[in-house]
Amino acid sequence: MMQKKVCMLGGFAVGKTSLVRRFVSNVFSDHYHTTIGVTVEKKSVKVDDRDVMLVLWDIYGEDEFQRVRESYLRGSAGYILVMDGTRKATLDTALALQQTAARTIGAVPFVSIINKADVRSEWEIDERVIEQLRERGWPVLFGSAKLGQGVEELFALLATQMVSAPSFPRD
Amino acid sequence: MNSRNPEFTPVDESLFNRVLLTLDIAVLERSEDGSAFHLRGLPPKWWRLCFGLAEATTLDSNRCSPFLREYLMNPHPVWENKTGEIERSGPWTESKEQGGTMTLEATALSVGSKNLLLIERLGSHFEHMRDIVQRARERMLTEDITTKSYRKTQTRLIGQLEVSERTKDDALALLQHLGITALVLDERGHVTFVSDRALEMLGLGSNDVVGQKLERVLPFQEQDRQLVQHLLDGSSRTGSGGPFRLDRARPQWVEVEIHRDPLHPDRRIMVLHDRTEIHALRQALNEQASFHDLVGKSPAMLRVYQLVRDVAQVDTTVLIEGETGTGKELIARAIHSCSGRKHKPFIAANCAGLTDSILTSQLFGHKRGSFTGAVNDQQGLFEAAEGGTLFLDEIGDIPPPVQTALLRVLQEKEITRLGEARPRKVDVRVVAATHHNLSEDVVRGSFRADLLYRIRIARVQLPPLRERREDIPLLAHSFLSQLCTATGKTVDDLSPDTLRLLMSHAWPGNVRELKSAIEFAVISCKGRDILPTDLPPEIAAMPVAPSPSTWIPLSGQDEKSKLLAALSDAKGNRTEAAKRLGVSRATFYRRLVELNIHPR
Ligand SMILES: Nc1nc2c(ncn2[C@@H]2O[C@H](COP(=O)(O)OP(=O)(O)OP(=O)(O)O)[C@@H](O)[C@H]2O)c(=O)[nH]1
Ligand SMILES: [Mg+2]
Repeated sequence: MMQKKVCMLGGFAVGKTSLVRRFVSNVFSDHYHTTIGVTVEKKSVKVDDRDVMLVLWDIYGEDEFQRVRESYLRGSAGYILVMDGTRKATLDTALALQQTAARTIGAVPFVSIINKADVRSEWEIDERVIEQLRERGWPVLFGSAKLGQGVEELFALLATQMVSAPSFPRD
Repeated sequence: MNSRNPEFTPVDESLFNRVLLTLDIAVLERSEDGSAFHLRGLPPKWWRLCFGLAEATTLDSNRCSPFLREYLMNPHPVWENKTGEIERSGPWTESKEQGGTMTLEATALSVGSKNLLLIERLGSHFEHMRDIVQRARERMLTEDITTKSYRKTQTRLIGQLEVSERTKDDALALLQHLGITALVLDERGHVTFVSDRALEMLGLGSNDVVGQKLERVLPFQEQDRQLVQHLLDGSSRTGSGGPFRLDRARPQWVEVEIHRDPLHPDRRIMVLHDRTEIHALRQALNEQASFHDLVGKSPAMLRVYQLVRDVAQVDTTVLIEGETGTGKELIARAIHSCSGRKHKPFIAANCAGLTDSILTSQLFGHKRGSFTGAVNDQQGLFEAAEGGTLFLDEIGDIPPPVQTALLRVLQEKEITRLGEARPRKVDVRVVAATHHNLSEDVVRGSFRADLLYRIRIARVQLPPLRERREDIPLLAHSFLSQLCTATGKTVDDLSPDTLRLLMSHAWPGNVRELKSAIEFAVISCKGRDILPTDLPPEIAAMPVAPSPSTWIPLSGQDEKSKLLAALSDAKGNRTEAAKRLGVSRATFYRRLVELNIHPR
């Protein structure tokens, strides 16, 4: 079965672990337990009748004290940039991480998601900014790990893009 | 240690194993081709939980987690180039076979020709570090939330402030722009805003007003202050009152309008209207109205004025004598106003044509049931005038029984209500008036002599108008301007012909007749000047410039023969005769009686 390494990237507490757990085990917890290092989970998806095993690298959230270890990114076929709609600063982190990823692993497919759509009224990221991201060529999805909204779509979209993307020899 | 073992064969197997166990580290050696990793020494206890039996000395890459597998497969310069450095994988979380997780970290290094892989379980030190990170992040999140809610509140408040500032500014700008004399008061009655126009009116600076209590800014007299406060406290949306007097160096009169601020129900907008000028005019008008028959500067009138002043100073009974229309009541008022009783009531009563019981009850009051129609106890005019002045007009017409009662009141200074036995003390100054010659009445026996002496302690004789003709232009102009102010008509003057007519008229009705004539003329007048045709017909019909002596003095035999002539001309028709003489019917009748003429 085709395996694809996918990195979950984003600032701390944006919901990377929550998205993975919702996708893989269909569970969610309001309790915050920060990820240290990396936890790897797997789940297969179907793309055009082909099974693709997604190997999801749930990497610790980046903050001002911890930069993401580039070695974690190597070998990724794609990545997911997660932002927290209620915290504008997570958008800047996502922008920086996208540059790190592009530098480290090249132009592999990626999808971005603005998480916590269940508390839309508290969002700080507004439509204008989202429009700017789309203009940069970012696929931007909205979702909620809490409600399970947009989660399947997120991974399915990336899987499709990865399958159809030309594969480059790694570094 | 003096030599390194290039084959990495521990000198003392048991020591090496004990060190590894203590550090909780597994040591693996990478095969030459990199396809296999062999355990060296004893693996730590956790090894079995993840990688199966401890006896297996080769790492089964199928049992490896994806992270480790990738780490093993990836090229590592420390192995390829034998740099002698070490390279860490970074922590990863591994699932135990029986469930649960643990965090591991791998280190690649080369020792001599051998490539080694150390796998270490991150223990208490790591957990401690993780706790710190967790707490730091949690704190950042809560701080973020706090900041956000703080910012939200701030934004909301700023928004509210802006809106309120804006609406406030709009409203205040409007008050300024429209030049409205306005003050805004807060719930404590302090001034929070004052328009430029209000400052101008009050002659104050903004600093003297803003922040001050209203009563300091607007020093109303106590009674007015209460009325204004009542308006401010009122529950209605708007209210108004006044004019109220402001006790300032130059007294001002203002009308006050109170509006509730719709946005802040506790706030009040106070609009002031300066009525000082109007008040002065009105007062002047009032004064003139109540003293208007006293207009005049003829020697006769000047004597009267002096007499009024003198009489006012003593608290005696006064008798005012004068023809009808000469202004006897106004003289009485003038006496009252100049006297020490000016703040007490002035009551005027006309004694003519009343039966004794009605007059008695009117003057002294009555007890309920004392006569038919006396349904209540009623105080009389004496009691009503307590402390002040009672003006008894036409005193000569009082029936004898009342004269007796009146005399007693003047002597005893007490009255007894009709139907009561108990006398009541009164302190009233009586000013009486008559157009009769009371001495003649005494001689005739219709008036009590003792009463006459009692009331005629002081005496003011008012000249008829025809005896002070020089005052006619002054009086006419004074009436004219009063009427114009009152009616809003603009009549500037009297034409010379009109004036001549007025001067030559006999004025049997005296000043009252002159006033009615001017009233009539102002109403008829179409232009700016009063023309002879605007005057009442009986005056206008007079040939201009007849000898004034034909009518003057209009007394005694002359007058009697005039009346008789007029009557015979009018074939005995009294109305017609009065018309021919240019006097009212009432005057004509009265003169007939006075002069003892009994036409058939
Ligand atoms: N309301 C809401 N809360 C969410 C959602 N997703 C995650 N969270 C909460 O956000 C917090 C962080 O979620 P995690 O999934 O641990 O975030 P993370 O990105 O893995 O964080 P790190 O591992 O520290 O980088 C937790 O308290 C979650 O319950 C969501 O969709 N809606
Ligand atoms: Mg996480």
